[in-house]
Amino acid sequence: MRMAIENPNIHADMIEVSEYPLLAEKYQVYGVPLTVANEDVRFEGGAPEPYYIPTLLQQLGINVTPKSPT
Amino acid sequence: MPLLKDQDRQALEQTFGEMPGRVRVIFFTQALDCETCEITGKILDEIAPLGEKIELVKYNFAIDKDKVSQYNIARIPAIAIVRLDESQNESGEPKLHEHDYGIRFYGVPAGYEFMSLVGSILDVSSGDSQLSPQSRGLVAQVQAPTHIQVFTTPT
Repeated sequence: MRMAIENPNIHADMIEVSEYPLLAEKYQVYGVPLTVANEDVRFEGGAPEPYYIPTLLQQLGINVTPKSPT
Repeated sequence: MPLLKDQDRQALEQTFGEMPGRVRVIFFTQALDCETCEITGKILDEIAPLGEKIELVKYNFAIDKDKVSQYNIARIPAIAIVRLDESQNESGEPKLHEHDYGIRFYGVPAGYEFMSLVGSILDVSSGDSQLSPQSRGLVAQVQAPTHIQVFTTPT
């Protein structure tokens, strides 16, 4: 959710999915938390920020490789 | 019967007391065909008064269509968290405008979602994502409109 505060291009929903069975089916929610970005990028489970954010963003096409020290 | 335990209420009061900015909690609900709207409303009615800088506003999903559209609300119960920034108009009169980060909560805020709701109120209040410098650098590279959905359950 914090990514939405950091970048105005990002908006974020948190959804208590047991109330919306059609959504659970649409996004194939079998375990939570599940993060879906732009409909087709998925991150299952929770993870610490240093792993979660780069992994999610990499799937969105952001280059997350750290520059090697010169 | 209150939903929160006394110690939880006190803890929230203390946390909300440190909020730098004012926050408007916007609740979309309706009377019929929404099993969880009532309990969500009760939760918000209980936590909003715990912060002086928290303002609770309610709209009816069926009637207030312009607001539903303005805040891009997909389903109910829905909660939008926006910051209220004060400025002055030309006559020097105070003016409030909303800073909407596009943060929405759908369904009853229970368990994990409740913690995130409180967290978002605080983060929106400060305007600070609390992310690490590395994360901020990566997030800043997102140029295209990006919709993140986090699915949780109450347990």
